[in-house]
Amino acid sequence: MEDEVPQRAQSETDLSLPMEESAVATRARRGSQTIRGLALRGGPLIALILLSAYLSVGSPYFLRISNLVNVTRQSAITAILAVGQTLVILSAGIDLSVGAMAAISASVAAVLMTQRVEIAGLAFGPVDFWLGFLIAIAVGTLAGMINGFIITRGRIPDFIATLGTLEIYRGIGLLVTGGLPVPSHLTATELKGYLPEPMIWMGSGSFLGFPVAGLIALLVVVVGWFILRYTALGRAFFAVGGNREAARVSGISIDRTKFTVYTICGLMCGLGGFVLAGRLNSANALMANGQELNSIAAVVIGGTNLFGGEGGVLGSLIGALIMGVLGNGLNLLNVSAFWQRIIQGTVIIMVVVFDQWRRRRFTT
Amino acid sequence: MRSNQPLLRMEQIDKSYPGVHALDHVDFNLYEGEVHVLLGENGAGKSTLVKILSGSVPRDSGRIFMHGEEIGDLNPERAQELGIGMVYQELSLVPSLSAAENIFLGQLPKKRLGIVDWQAINNGAKESLEALGVDIDPQAEIRGLNVAEQQLTEIARILTKEPKILLLDEPTSALSDNDRERLFEIIRLLRERGVGIVYISHRLVEVPLVGQRVTVLRDGKVVGTLPVNEANEEKLAQMMVGRDLTEQYPKQYIELGEAILRIENLSLDDVLHDINFELHRGEILGIFGLMGAGQMELARAIFGLEPLSTANIYIEGQEVAIRNPAEAIRYGLGLLTRDRREGIVPMLPIPPNVTLAKLSQFAPYRFLNLGDEIEVTNKYVRDLRIQTPSLDRRVIFLSGGNQQKVVLARWLCSGAKIMIFDEPTRGIDVGAKAEVFGLMNDLTKKGVGIVMISSEMPEILAMADRILVMRGGQFTAEYKEGEATQEDLLRNAS
Repeated sequence: MEDEVPQRAQSETDLSLPMEESAVATRARRGSQTIRGLALRGGPLIALILLSAYLSVGSPYFLRISNLVNVTRQSAITAILAVGQTLVILSAGIDLSVGAMAAISASVAAVLMTQRVEIAGLAFGPVDFWLGFLIAIAVGTLAGMINGFIITRGRIPDFIATLGTLEIYRGIGLLVTGGLPVPSHLTATELKGYLPEPMIWMGSGSFLGFPVAGLIALLVVVVGWFILRYTALGRAFFAVGGNREAARVSGISIDRTKFTVYTICGLMCGLGGFVLAGRLNSANALMANGQELNSIAAVVIGGTNLFGGEGGVLGSLIGALIMGVLGNGLNLLNVSAFWQRIIQGTVIIMVVVFDQWRRRRFTT
Repeated sequence: MRSNQPLLRMEQIDKSYPGVHALDHVDFNLYEGEVHVLLGENGAGKSTLVKILSGSVPRDSGRIFMHGEEIGDLNPERAQELGIGMVYQELSLVPSLSAAENIFLGQLPKKRLGIVDWQAINNGAKESLEALGVDIDPQAEIRGLNVAEQQLTEIARILTKEPKILLLDEPTSALSDNDRERLFEIIRLLRERGVGIVYISHRLVEVPLVGQRVTVLRDGKVVGTLPVNEANEEKLAQMMVGRDLTEQYPKQYIELGEAILRIENLSLDDVLHDINFELHRGEILGIFGLMGAGQMELARAIFGLEPLSTANIYIEGQEVAIRNPAEAIRYGLGLLTRDRREGIVPMLPIPPNVTLAKLSQFAPYRFLNLGDEIEVTNKYVRDLRIQTPSLDRRVIFLSGGNQQKVVLARWLCSGAKIMIFDEPTRGIDVGAKAEVFGLMNDLTKKGVGIVMISSEMPEILAMADRILVMRGGQFTAEYKEGEATQEDLLRNAS
C-alpha cells in the first residue's frame, strides 16, 4: 500500500532480507565467492565428508569396499524416493505416501511374477521380468496420478490427501499379497515361485564392481536434475513452489503442474520399490516402512526448502547418503538400535539448524 | 493543554532499505493533546517513520525522546510499555478469533489459576466498542466483519491499552463518511485526554478536519512543518509533489492506431455489470475508481483469472475466448498485478523470472536454452535499466521499483501487445514511478495498448489518453485527456 518498504514476507526463507550492501562489502563478497559458494551450496556435502572422516577413524570396517557397497545399496532406495519427493517439495507439496507406493508397486509386480492369478476369469502370469518391471512402474505411476487427482480436484491439502492414500495403498497391498511376503512359502513351491534373476541383480548385483542399485539411483538423480534445470516443466515446479500466484498469472497451470509432479513421484516410487524388492529378494505390503519420512529428511538435509521454491536433487542425494552412512556407521560402532533412532533424529535437526544458520549468514 | 516540553521528539531519524533511502535525517515532534498530520505521497516515508516509533522497524540512526528523556532501542513490547499504540494500515487482527478476543489479545484478563475470564473479556470489549459508538457484537468472528468494522475493532483494541501516543496509519482509507466522522469524534475525545496523535494521510482534505500541525514528507525528507491554519490545499500539494508535473509524468502523445482490444457485455456475478470499452494501439486508457469498485476484478477477468459470466472479447477484431492466463498470454495480453508479491517469484534469480510467462507457452517437456535466456535477460536489464549487481541476484533482494521492472520485462519477453497495469506505482518510490511512466510511454510508441488502473488521481489525469470512471462494477463516466478534474473523477466514483 504505502511506503516502498520491501515487506518482510512470512516464510522463513526471507530471514536475511533487509540488509543494505556497501561498496566495500560488495568487493569483499566478490573476493570470497568461492568460499561463499561452497558454504552456501556445499553445507550437506561438508557434513557428509566430516561424518565419513569420523567413521573411517572410528571403525576399521567403514572404508572396506564391501561396506561401502553395502552403504550405497542402502542409500540408493532412499535416494530414488527422495528425488521424487524433492520435485514434490519444490512445488510446495509433500508426499507421505512414497513408502506405500513403493510397497504396493513391488507387491503387485512380485505377485504377478511369481503366481498365476485370475483376473475377471482370465488366467494370467507368472509374467516375466520385463513385464513385471513395467507393471511396477505402471502401478507406481497410477498411484501418483491418483494422489495428484485427489489434491487438484478435491482441493484438499497435499498432506492430508497423501496421508489418506498412504493407508489406502498399504491396505490394497495387504489385500493383493494376502498379508504374506511374496514369494511366500505357499507359492514358492508351485510354478517357478521366485523373483526373476534380473530383478535381484537390480537390487543386490554389481556392474563393473559398482552396485547396480547405486547406478540406478544415480541415473534417477541425473534425470531429476535435468528436468529441473533444462525443461519448462522443471521451471514450472520452481515457480509454483516459489510463488503460486505469480506462476498462475504467468500462465502456468497450477493443477496440471501438481498433477504432473505427483505422477513423476509415483513413477519413481514404482522404480524404487522394484529395486528394493530385488535387494530383499522379497516383496510385502508393509515394506519401505518409514521411507516417507526418510525421503523427506533426505530432501530437507539436502537443503531444499520445505516450503518450496528452492533446492534441488543433488542435495537430496547427499541427504540420502548422510542418512545411509549414519545408519551404517552406528551399526559399525555397535550403537544399539534404540540409541540409533535418537541419534538419527538429532542429526536431522542439527543439520537443518546448521543449514538455516548458514543461509542467514551467507545469503546476500 | 499544550506544555512546552514536547511529549515526543524524534531527531535525525535515518533508515535505508536496499535501493531506497526511506528516511533521510528526519526531525519530528508531537505535543500532548495534539494531532500532528504526516502528509506525503506513496513512498514518501510516512509509514516507515511511524513503524520506527511503534518498534516494528529498527532505525539505522537518530534519537528519540519522550518527555525529554531519551529512549533507546525500540521494539514492539518496549513501545507498548512506553504507551505508544499503533493502528496499522494493514489490519493486524486474527480473522478466526472474535472481536472481543482480538481486543484483549496478548493481555487476556484471567481469573485465579490462570483461567481466562470470558465474562470480563466480553464485557470489556462491549464497553470499549460502545465507547467508540459502534455497534459490533463482541463475540462476532473478525472474518465475518466488513473492513470498516475490522478497522474500528482494531482501534478499540489499541485504545484499551490507554496509549499516550497514538499512531494512525491512513485510518480512513476503508471507512465510509459516517464512520470517518465517528473516528474524528473519537480523536477529539482522545485529544482532550491529552493523548498525542500522529495521523498519517495522503488526503489533503482531511488535514484541517483533524490536525493542529502538519508535516510534509517527500522522498524520505521533511519538506516542512506548518500549523494547519497556515496550510491550504494548494500549498500542501505543492510541498508533497515538489517537482514539475512534466518531470514526474513524462507523458508523450502519439498517434493512436486501430482498436486492438474490444470488450463487450462483460459481467461477473455481482461484481461487474455490462462493461464495454475499446483500447487502441498506442493508447493509455485510464480506469479510475475507489477501492473495491471492481477495477481489480475487471483486470483479472479479462486475463482469465476469474470465471466470466458473460463477455465478448475481440482482439484485433477477432473474437476470442480467454479461459485462463495461458490463453491470455497467447493472445498477447500482459498483467502487472496490483500486489507486487503476486508478480515475482522471490527466490528465483532474474532470468527465470523474466522468461516465466514465455515458458508457460512451451510444452512441459520442451528443453530450455539457458544461454539464450541469459542473453535475452541481459537485453531487458539494459533496456529497462534494472539495477542489480548480477543476473543471479534473487529478485527478492531487488528494490520495489526494480522488481516491478522485472515483471514488466516478463511481459515484454512474452510479446505482450495489450498491457494491463493494475496500480503500477503502488509501493514504489517517486523516482521509480517516473521511470515506470517513461516505460509506459516507450511501450505505447511501439504500438502497445495500455489499460492503466489507478486510484491515484494525479497520475491517471496526467498519463491517460482517456479515462473511464468506475463505481459499483460499472463505468459511470468517460473523459478525454485534459477534460476531467480531480473533482469530476471523485464525483463519478463515489
